[in-house]
Amino acid sequence: MRHCLSYIIIYSTLFIIVGCKPEAKVPGQFAEAGARADIYPDYMGVVVPPNIAPLNFIVRDSFATTYVAQLQGGGEELLAAAGEDGKVQMDSVAWRKLLVASKGSDVTVNIYADRPDGWVHFQPFTVSVAEEPIDAFLSYRLIEPGYELYRQLGIYQRNLTTFDEVPVYENNREYNDGENHCVNCHNFRMGSTDRMLFHVRSNHGGTIVVQDGKAQKIQFKDSTIITSAVYPSWHPTENLVAFSTNKTGQAFHLYYPEKIEVMDEASDLLLYDAEKNEVSHIIRTSVEMETFPCWAPDGRTLYYCAADPGPYLDPSLPDSMLNRQILAAYDSLRYNLMSISFDPSTRSFGKPQLVVDAQSEKKSISVPRVSPDGRYILYTKGDYGQFHIWHTSSDLWVKDLQTDSCYALSAANSPDVDSFHSWSSNGRWFVFSSRRMDGNYTRPFIAYFDAQGRAHKPFVLPQEDPEWNILLLKSYNVPELTRDAVRISEKDLRHCIYDTDGELATYKQNPTAIVRLDGITGASPKKPVDGTTGATAPQTSPR
Amino acid sequence: MRKKTSIQPNKAKTGQQTAPSSTKRKWLLPVLPIFFVLTWLWAAWYYGSVFYISREYSFWVQDTRIMEFILSQPYGSLRYLGRAMLQLYRYPWLGGLLMALMLSLGSWLTGYCMRLRPSWRPIQYLPALCYMAVVTFLGLDIFFEARTGLIFGIPFVVLVVLCIWAIMIRSFSRKPVPTLVGIPKDESPRQNRMQLAVIVLCLAAIIGFDQWQRPYVRVICQLLDMEYRQDWAGIQKLARANAKMSNRPMACSYAISLVQTGQVAERLFDIRLDYDSLSIHGMDGAHNNASSLYVPEGDYYGGFIQSAMHASMEQMVMTGPTIRLLKLMTKCALMRSEWELAEKYLTLLRRVPFEGAFCRKYDALLRRPDLVNADKEMALIRLTEPIHDSFENQYQQPLFMGYNLLLFEGRSSNALINSLVVCLYTKLMPQFVERLEPLIGTMPPSIIQDGILLAENKNPGISKSFTGLNVRQAQLQTFFQKMQPYMSDRPGHAYELFPRYKGYYPYYYFFGNLKATKKGYTSLQSSSSGVN
Repeated sequence: MRHCLSYIIIYSTLFIIVGCKPEAKVPGQFAEAGARADIYPDYMGVVVPPNIAPLNFIVRDSFATTYVAQLQGGGEELLAAAGEDGKVQMDSVAWRKLLVASKGSDVTVNIYADRPDGWVHFQPFTVSVAEEPIDAFLSYRLIEPGYELYRQLGIYQRNLTTFDEVPVYENNREYNDGENHCVNCHNFRMGSTDRMLFHVRSNHGGTIVVQDGKAQKIQFKDSTIITSAVYPSWHPTENLVAFSTNKTGQAFHLYYPEKIEVMDEASDLLLYDAEKNEVSHIIRTSVEMETFPCWAPDGRTLYYCAADPGPYLDPSLPDSMLNRQILAAYDSLRYNLMSISFDPSTRSFGKPQLVVDAQSEKKSISVPRVSPDGRYILYTKGDYGQFHIWHTSSDLWVKDLQTDSCYALSAANSPDVDSFHSWSSNGRWFVFSSRRMDGNYTRPFIAYFDAQGRAHKPFVLPQEDPEWNILLLKSYNVPELTRDAVRISEKDLRHCIYDTDGELATYKQNPTAIVRLDGITGASPKKPVDGTTGATAPQTSPR
Repeated sequence: MRKKTSIQPNKAKTGQQTAPSSTKRKWLLPVLPIFFVLTWLWAAWYYGSVFYISREYSFWVQDTRIMEFILSQPYGSLRYLGRAMLQLYRYPWLGGLLMALMLSLGSWLTGYCMRLRPSWRPIQYLPALCYMAVVTFLGLDIFFEARTGLIFGIPFVVLVVLCIWAIMIRSFSRKPVPTLVGIPKDESPRQNRMQLAVIVLCLAAIIGFDQWQRPYVRVICQLLDMEYRQDWAGIQKLARANAKMSNRPMACSYAISLVQTGQVAERLFDIRLDYDSLSIHGMDGAHNNASSLYVPEGDYYGGFIQSAMHASMEQMVMTGPTIRLLKLMTKCALMRSEWELAEKYLTLLRRVPFEGAFCRKYDALLRRPDLVNADKEMALIRLTEPIHDSFENQYQQPLFMGYNLLLFEGRSSNALINSLVVCLYTKLMPQFVERLEPLIGTMPPSIIQDGILLAENKNPGISKSFTGLNVRQAQLQTFFQKMQPYMSDRPGHAYELFPRYKGYYPYYYFFGNLKATKKGYTSLQSSSSGVN
């Protein structure tokens, strides 16, 4: 009896689903529309990896009531239909077959629309399928764009080959003064989830370091450390993490296309030994600001961004005056791309080297990321500052270390914000944040990076419901690609965050660190900040 | 159990035997239907505006993915259902009808489940009356910070529990179901009247408490409702009718209506601006200054579109989306020509029941800057937009006040008038005098005239640069003479003098908003301080 009832329910549901969907059949007769269909998101002419989830899309047409999409490539055909809402949602098995058959070639997409005066056929477009797959997992934080406050947020991981999204960690869902906390700056070692970390700010604060399936909370507190550990980069071979430590503030424009400015008042670079739980300085300066560390894949060079606010800032001033100075000079501060050599055997650093002089062309660089083959440095270039995720001038650029040339990835860039990026482990794909869809909410875009070092037209992260990118009121923040899924459970992370106080990282002097302190204060930080209260915790990662 | 159930029919039989005769029964009134009507009147007519605003401060769409921010909270499904039912308050009579039905049905089931004798029957109405009392006691807190799912969620869950309980009783004991619309046969006239008396007295107590302790709740909600409908005349009428009541949300709505009708320099001080404390609490349970009720709109109507967006987004982060914030952000996005963003918010609003009219109106403005600039409301706002960029952090909060204290270049005479009025409001006379130059040779609006005459003391001869001040000069002299006895204790006499001098700026200057003056909030020194 129970089985009988189940069958009735299943068949009724199937009947309703099948009954509601129009038949996916290419019409026998149709007129040519003479134009391309208006589809959302824009997947026309993009290059996709052979393991990506179906590129579901919406066809927008004022008159049509039914749509049929016909995708052909490599001898395979996929038909999908849509009702009045225009949502073309493809069968994942058929899609997979189509992509596998079309590897290295194009898929042609024909769209038909049933208008009151009959079927019309739009001009076809193509989607190129690359040979190389993309790393299967994408981690990101979902958070409302920008601004000062936070409530419900979390780090999530999406399987790019399907539409599955799982929370890696979510903060408390209901407001609670004693529990509220923020999470940010999730980072993985060389595209593997074996070692990962992220920061917790405010209540239960600390840096959560996951190694061999175990999570540990670390506190970076020392009178010489400006705030706490901020932007991270795992060393590719050693159990080391380079961090920046930043004292950050933000300001809100009143009448300007840009909305928010996030500015550092001070920043240094730190080296954390995850095995010994020791932290030391890489660069400690009272005036110059260093941020966004990134290891080269060989682990012998650390890239970072540096600015000299000397002409604009007097660090000896009290905080209130310093803030005013920073506001006054917000668009004058520019960062160069720098590097410093590192000897993993002795853990010693060399002298800083200028890699890209952006200041001289009145530009500023942030978020350097070296390609897995070590040949290219992908970075964001904007007109000023380092928080390019809110600068419409920001674009993706690369430096080819072999030819020593720098160029913009024009095919990937847009007139809006294009910033925070992460490489796939085979170096053929990168994912980046862009506000191009509505100017406010960042969405992850995936771009193909070919053997000649050119980027191709990117596509937005596909969604099961293609309208989701419109409906979602959160930004995809800090997209990071990994080959495998995060293995540690949310429960274990929650236990580590809620039930442990965190171990204090021992501060050790590094004799090879670059130290330049001003003679007045004798130290770069004004005061140590309690990482557990988060009272002055900077908003550290771009939203 | 079995024994008990077997006794019930006998009891009922006894009740039937002792039922009053038919001649007496004609004096009996159907209590439950009367309770239903009274509840409906309360929920739709008396408190309807509060529930209407609760809906505006809420958000509900059928799509559970979008509602995840609510569903992931404790009792998320209940909050989700509660918000769904609250949607009916788009039309207060409809929302009130549902609430009255739920409360009446709950009362009926309470009586049935508790097997109340006729003499104890007033008890069945107490849960519903308690709910109404709690809602009244909470006042603005029922919707502030968007905790709106519980307004209908709690009565709904109580109703479900009672239904299950009643079904169980009915299944096991076969207890007869009392009449829903008629007069119960077992009630005496005295018992009948007792029930009515309890209901009427409790309702009177609830309304009395509201009028005595929370008189501002309905007024603020009615003002917000009118603000969303752009009923500027209605706001002015209601605010002036409650001129002695003083709170910031009301003052802001009133000021917005005056700015929108060009009367801000004539009628701003018609209402008391001393700001009594409101019973309103934030998510942390602590007393809140209620700034989130008026800052986004204040910024928007003050011409600070980006700041209105900022304030709205901050609130949305904390409370999740609300209809009110999405509408405001849609308008901000349109004014900033952020078409895709406006479309995004409209897409969400289209999924909210009963929001078709708003969506149709603003859909038509998408990608049409000419229509945006021609929109009456938006065109007026454009006149006071800043000319130059700067940072919010550089001004005192709220920005729509702080910015005007430092305004040195405006887009129109409206911007100048706003700035002058803010200077007068904050009693910063040097800043007021500095901004008078463009008005030299003209006859300024009445409040500015009074400000000039007051500034004359420290700026001798300044009034000679303006025309038409003679009449008000005499009025000021009379005012000074009459006020001499009260000057030694200005805070003590402010309230009693208000009815006599409402609308008169010199009264405000000497007797109004004294807490703010005393606290020194009206200084220009720090951007971290606020304009009170």
